[in-house]
Amino acid sequence: MINYLFSILTLVMIYGIAASSLNVLVGYAGIFSVAHAIFFGIGAYAGAQFSLLVSSDILLSCLVGAATAGVFSLLLAIPALRVRGEYFVAAALGLQMVGVTVFSEAHALTGGHGGLVGIPPATLLGMDVSSPGLFLLVCAVMLAIILYLVRRLMRLSFGRALMSIRDNETAAESFGKNVPKLKTLAMFVGCAFAGVAGTLFAYNMMFVNVESFTFEQSILMLAMVVIGGVGTLSGPLIGAIVLLSLPALLSFIPFIPPTEIGTVQQFIYGALMTLLMIFRPSGIAGKL
Amino acid sequence: MLFLQLLASGIQTGILYALTAAGFALIFGATRIFHVAHGATFIIAGYTYYELHQVGVWWPLATLAAFAMAIAFGVFMALYVYRPIQRSEGSFFTVFVAAFGASISVQSLVQYFFGRGSVMVSTPLTMAQETLPGLYLAPILAVSIVVAIIVFTCVHLFLDRRNAGLGLRALSESPGLLESFGLDSKRLTILAFVIGSALVVPAAIFTAVSIGIQPASGHRVMLISLAATIVGGIGSLRGAVLAGLVLGVIENLVITMVDTQWSEAVSFLVLFAFIMFRPNGLFGTAVKK
Repeated sequence: MINYLFSILTLVMIYGIAASSLNVLVGYAGIFSVAHAIFFGIGAYAGAQFSLLVSSDILLSCLVGAATAGVFSLLLAIPALRVRGEYFVAAALGLQMVGVTVFSEAHALTGGHGGLVGIPPATLLGMDVSSPGLFLLVCAVMLAIILYLVRRLMRLSFGRALMSIRDNETAAESFGKNVPKLKTLAMFVGCAFAGVAGTLFAYNMMFVNVESFTFEQSILMLAMVVIGGVGTLSGPLIGAIVLLSLPALLSFIPFIPPTEIGTVQQFIYGALMTLLMIFRPSGIAGKL
Repeated sequence: MLFLQLLASGIQTGILYALTAAGFALIFGATRIFHVAHGATFIIAGYTYYELHQVGVWWPLATLAAFAMAIAFGVFMALYVYRPIQRSEGSFFTVFVAAFGASISVQSLVQYFFGRGSVMVSTPLTMAQETLPGLYLAPILAVSIVVAIIVFTCVHLFLDRRNAGLGLRALSESPGLLESFGLDSKRLTILAFVIGSALVVPAAIFTAVSIGIQPASGHRVMLISLAATIVGGIGSLRGAVLAGLVLGVIENLVITMVDTQWSEAVSFLVLFAFIMFRPNGLFGTAVKK
């Protein structure tokens, strides 16, 4: 039972990081990415390959995952600079679909549909941290660091400039803000954090395959941000807690067959997204 | 012969894409609402037809019912989801998330009641015959070509000639001006949703008949419609139809060059390329920044 609780909490931490990183794009920079699972995935594959080939040190792996995902963020930064609104969402969708195909076909790097197996237990400075309790602690610390970084960054001139672009790009530009540079940086930061989440995810599951990086996953992350509250620090975490505890809560309701829990969870978050947008677009943690 | 065979199945797929894309493009062109729940309309229509067919309802009645359900859903979205959000001046993204949430809910409801797997309506129309040596064609191809031509001619005539059609085109250009000429933009918005949702019905039925329909088809339909609308040029119905057709054909023809797993990705590569290098699409007017 305690291990079950630990495993849910670990997932909450990991998805909390992923959702917070998406919030940097959606909430602060106004870049409506629907391809975040791709960067989460790039981080997971990079971290997993690093652990298989070089070292199972979790800090180093996270750095590798973050750097790789950050570099690939350029793929989405280019359309983000050229088009916006519906066009950008469409470009991100395109990237998401092509990304999934690449993940499942580039056997040498990703292991194809079978995925990468046998990821070694995580270590930290030579110490084994793979037991459920310790790993949860590692994830919690990582989440705390990332939330702190997001908070710091958004209070600096970088964050303020970013939010000014989100609210009115032309005005920001006329005040001398370097819009392309700021947007690219925001993309880099957001995707790099997603890479960290991906690496932790790989260590947690000890196995990665394309199933965890599909369009549905991107939407799940987006739902966490939107339901929790776009552009707030605590929102994405609240969203992650709400959405990830749903399956556990639903399993206590007797008349739902266990095989249908996923479906019911999907229905609830879909309905939540729609209802919140109509009645409370700022989300649970947002200001009215 | 392989080429001809693939071309034939490409045209078949392309017609389905063209029909769904036309609905999406019409709604988006006239109302500027990014109706991503369009895929949900598709599965609602498809499953309505399937269910009625299963209980033995005569097919024209089942078709009518599918139209009724699709239109009802489209109008429901317009009235109870998009209108309240637009009234509170929600951004494009708010509309997107709300519509997406709705399509997820519909998909999971259908999945709950009908299961995840694909369902198929069997008819003699899908029996392939050897038309030329080595070329197998099913009568459904001819049927869908004829239906598509009829549908597009009707839509074209309606948009070109009727007052309401003119109104729809005016709505896309300037809703404010439209109001001051005494036309009702709310009623025209509903009209756009009625026609747009109805356009998806033949495609849904053809899919249910030819390759089978499953709850997850909704996402695919939405993505393809979106891709075709952008590749064709936003605001151009003709462009969306042509782009849908072309995407369907390309998707099938690339099989001669790359593995089948890549065929779907090719559509999205085309979309990505268009967004990067020609965001106005094939027939679109200049994109407003």
